Amino acid sequence: MRRELIDELLGVLGPAGVIHEPTRLLAYECDGLALLRQRPALVLLPRTTDECSRAMRILHREKIPVVGRGAGTGLSGGATPVEGGVLVGFGRMRDVLEVNVADRYARVQAGVVNVDLTLAVEKHGLFYAPDPSSQAACTIGGNVGENSGGPHCFKHGATTRHILGLVIVRDDGSVLDLALPQADPLGYDLVGLFVGSEGMFGLATEITVALVPTPPVTETFLAIFTDLDSACDAVSDAIAAKLEPSALEILDRLTIQAVEASVFAAGYPREAEAVLLIEAEGTEVEVEATLAPMKAIAQKRGAIDMRRARSAAERKKLWAGRKGAFGAMGRIAPDLYVADVVVPRTKLRELVAESTRIAREKRLKLANVFHAGDGNLHPNISYDRRDPDEVKRVLAASDEIMKVVVAAGGSLTGEHGVGLEKQEFMSLVFNDDDLRAMCRVREAWDPEGRMNPGKLIPVHACREMRGTEKPR
Amino acid sequence: MKPLELVDYAKSLDCIHCGLCLRTCPTYQLTGAEPSSPRGRIYLMRAVAEGELAATDPQYREEMDFCLACRHCESVCPAGVRFGEMIETARAGLEKVQPRGIVARTARRIGFGTILRSRFWLSLMATSMRIGQRSGIARLMGKLGRPLVEMPEVPPKSERAPLPAHSPAVGPRKGEVAMLEGCAMRELYGRVNRATVEVLTHIGYDTRVPTKHVCCGALHAHNGEIEGARELARSTIEHFEREGSGPIIVNSAGCGAHMRAYGHLLAEDVAWRERAGRFAARVRDFSEFVAPELPADKKGSLDKDLGVLAYDDPCHLCHGQQIRSQPRTLLERSGAARVDLPDSESCCGSAGIYSLLRPDDSKAVFAKKAAAFRACGAETLVTANPGCHMQWESGLRREGVRARVLHVAEVIAAALRKSRAR
Repeated sequence: MRRELIDELLGVLGPAGVIHEPTRLLAYECDGLALLRQRPALVLLPRTTDECSRAMRILHREKIPVVGRGAGTGLSGGATPVEGGVLVGFGRMRDVLEVNVADRYARVQAGVVNVDLTLAVEKHGLFYAPDPSSQAACTIGGNVGENSGGPHCFKHGATTRHILGLVIVRDDGSVLDLALPQADPLGYDLVGLFVGSEGMFGLATEITVALVPTPPVTETFLAIFTDLDSACDAVSDAIAAKLEPSALEILDRLTIQAVEASVFAAGYPREAEAVLLIEAEGTEVEVEATLAPMKAIAQKRGAIDMRRARSAAERKKLWAGRKGAFGAMGRIAPDLYVADVVVPRTKLRELVAESTRIAREKRLKLANVFHAGDGNLHPNISYDRRDPDEVKRVLAASDEIMKVVVAAGGSLTGEHGVGLEKQEFMSLVFNDDDLRAMCRVREAWDPEGRMNPGKLIPVHACREMRGTEKPR
Repeated sequence: MKPLELVDYAKSLDCIHCGLCLRTCPTYQLTGAEPSSPRGRIYLMRAVAEGELAATDPQYREEMDFCLACRHCESVCPAGVRFGEMIETARAGLEKVQPRGIVARTARRIGFGTILRSRFWLSLMATSMRIGQRSGIARLMGKLGRPLVEMPEVPPKSERAPLPAHSPAVGPRKGEVAMLEGCAMRELYGRVNRATVEVLTHIGYDTRVPTKHVCCGALHAHNGEIEGARELARSTIEHFEREGSGPIIVNSAGCGAHMRAYGHLLAEDVAWRERAGRFAARVRDFSEFVAPELPADKKGSLDKDLGVLAYDDPCHLCHGQQIRSQPRTLLERSGAARVDLPDSESCCGSAGIYSLLRPDDSKAVFAKKAAAFRACGAETLVTANPGCHMQWESGLRREGVRARVLHVAEVIAAALRKSRAR
C-alpha cells in the first residue's frame, strides 16, 4: 500500500484506526475458515459511521476492493481478505447507542458483540433472540452480513426477522440511513434485502434490532439416546406433531466427549451416542403443552433418560457446552471444517447417516452437532491444514455432502453464508437466470463490484454476466 | 536459533481459531485489533514456528509485550489452549533473538538478577523508595519518579520486619503449614502477611516461614527470564522441603499460580521434575485453604468498620488457579456486607511489573475497573494479590475515589479479632 495513502487514512482514522504493519496484518489472513487465507493490504478500524464513510470515500477514489469484518468468526470465508484489498474491521465500533424499552428496540454500532447486546437489555426483561453458537464473540454487524441463525432461531427466526433498520456506508462512502425502527418497511424493503448480503452491498455501521420479552418460564431438558438415528427420528416426529419448542439441538458422541473435556463441561453423559437438547419457553401452560408430548416422543424413540435443568445456572451450563462445541473440537485436531447444510426435517436420519458414510469413506473424523429442529446440519470434519492430502479429502467430502443434500431437496447453507466456501455450489441450486438476477441486484448496490468481490456468486456467472453486458 | 525453540508450536495447534477469547482479552478490548488478541497472538506464534514470520520482527515483540498475561482467555477457551504457558515461552524466545538496549538490559539484570534474589537489596530498595516518596525527591525526578509518586507509600521499616520462623497454633492444634512470605509482599504489605499468620494460627495451624527464602520467580517467568525462573524455582523447592511436607500457604495469587506450575517449568529437568511436581501439589492459596477450615458460626460483624465490600478476582487466582468461590465464602463468613463487582474477572492492569513497563496501557485497562467499582457502590475493595492491591490503591487515588483496599486475609483477621473481643 502506498505510503501517502496510508498517511491520508491515518489522518482520517488516527493511529488506532489503521493497521499497516505486515506482521500485524498477518493476523487478519483468515476468519473462522482457516483453510482459505490471504493477507490484506491494509486493515481499517473506524470508530464511527462518519469515519467509516470518509475512509470509504478515499478507497472509492483509489478503486481499492473492500472486505468487511466483524469478529472474524464466520465459517464460510465471508471475511477472507482479497488480494490487494482493504479489510474494514468493526472491533472499535462497540457502543450500544440506544435502548428503547417501551418500543422494544435497540440501536447499536455494528461491532457490538451479540451477547453484549443481550447483557445490556436483560435487566429490562428483554433479549436479542438470534444466538449463534459464537455469540460470545460474533458481532451484530457480522450477523447482519450473514443472516446468522442460532439454536433459538427455531422459534424466533434468523437475524433477518429481527433487524428493523440499518445505517449503511456504501461503496462510494455515501451514507444510506435506513434506521427508522419500524417493523413494516415502507416502499422497497432495502433493509430486508441487505441482511444476508455478505458484505457485497455495503457496510452496515449502525443497526436497529428488535428486542424480545424474556419469557416467563423456560424449561430445558436433555434427552439421552443410545444411537444417533433415534435422536434424529425424535426430532422428525416432533416436527410432524407440530410441536414448537424454542430449540431442538443434537450433539453426537464425539462432540459430547470434546465438550466434556473442556472448560464448558456441561454434564452431558459421555457414554451416550447422542443427546437431544430441548428447550421450551412461554407461560407455564404453554411450556407444559409443548414438553409433555415432546417427552413422550423422545421416550417412544428410545431415550434412556430425560434430565431437566433444575436452575438457571444448570440451563446456562447446558447451553455453554453446546455453544463451545466448535472450539472444543480443537482437542481432536488443529482445524475443523464446519459444514452447514439444511435438509428436510423428515430426512434427518438418512442425511446424517449419509454424511457419516461419506466421511468414513474418505477416512475423515466426523462429529455431528446441529440445529435439528431447523434441519440445519453441521457435519464437523476434523483435519490438519498442514496435511494437503487430508485437506483435499475434506473438500471432496464437503462437495459430496452438499450434492447429496441438494438432491434430497435441501439447501447449501443454514446460517454460515456462502462466502468463498460454497460459491461454486450455488449452481446446484440456482440456474443462470437466477444468478444473473442476483448479479443485477448486486450491481445496483455496488456498480464497480468492489465490495467483498469474489464471494457468494460463482465466478462463471459473474464473468458471463459481464460478457453479455459489455458489447452493448 | 530454530523457530521451534522460540514458541510453543504444539500448543499453538490446539487453537482452532473460534474467537471466543476476543471479548475477554483486555488488550483487544482496548484496541479492537486482532493481533492484540489471544487468537491473533497465537496466529503470530504459529507463523514464527512455521517460518512465515521472523521472531526478530519488532511488531511481533510489541504484541507479545502488550499482553498482560492475565490468562482470562484460558477460562473461556473450549479447546483448552494453555495461553499463559505459551506467552511465557514466546517471551523467553524473544529474549534470545531480540537483544534489548543497554539501559533495559542493565535494568533487567539489576531487577531480576540482583534485587529480586536478595532480601538485603529488596529491603534497601524499599527504604530508598520510602525516602524518595517522603522527602519529595521522587516528585522532583519528574517522569522518572512518577511511578514512585503514584504508588502507595512504602511502609516504615518496622512494618517490613520478617515474620517469625515459627508461629504456634492458637487453641487446639490441627496441624502444621508452611507459608510463603514473598518478595514484594513483605516489603509492601507486611500487614497482609501478619494477618495471614494470625488467621492460620487461629484456625489451629502451626505456621512455619522459611525466612531465608526470597522470591518464587513468577516475575521472571512472566517476563521471559526463564532460566532465572528455573533457578529460583529450585531454590524455592529446597527452602520449602526443609519446612516439612504439609501444605504451603500462599497469599499472593501470582506466586501461587506460578508455584503450582513448577512441574511444567522444570519438566525437562530430569533431576528436579519429580520434586517440582511434589512441591506443586502442596501449594494452596490462602482462601482455598482457610475457607473449609473456618467454621460458619464464627461470624463477626464488620459492617461498621469496613462498610460494603466488593471482591475483585485476581486473574491468577480465578483464571490461573480456578479459585472463585472460596474468597467469597470467607467474606460472607466475616459478616461484612458485600456487593458484586461487575466484570470482577477482568484484569486490573497490574499484571506483575506490567504497570511499570507500560504505565499508559496499564492505566487504560484500569479505567474500566474504576468505573465498575464506582457503579457497584462498595466502600472497600478486597483483593488477594500484592500487584492488584497496589494497582487498586494507586488507581483509585488517581481517579479520586475514596476507598480502602484490603487483602482477604486482612478482612478475616479483623473479623476474628472482633469476635474474640466480644
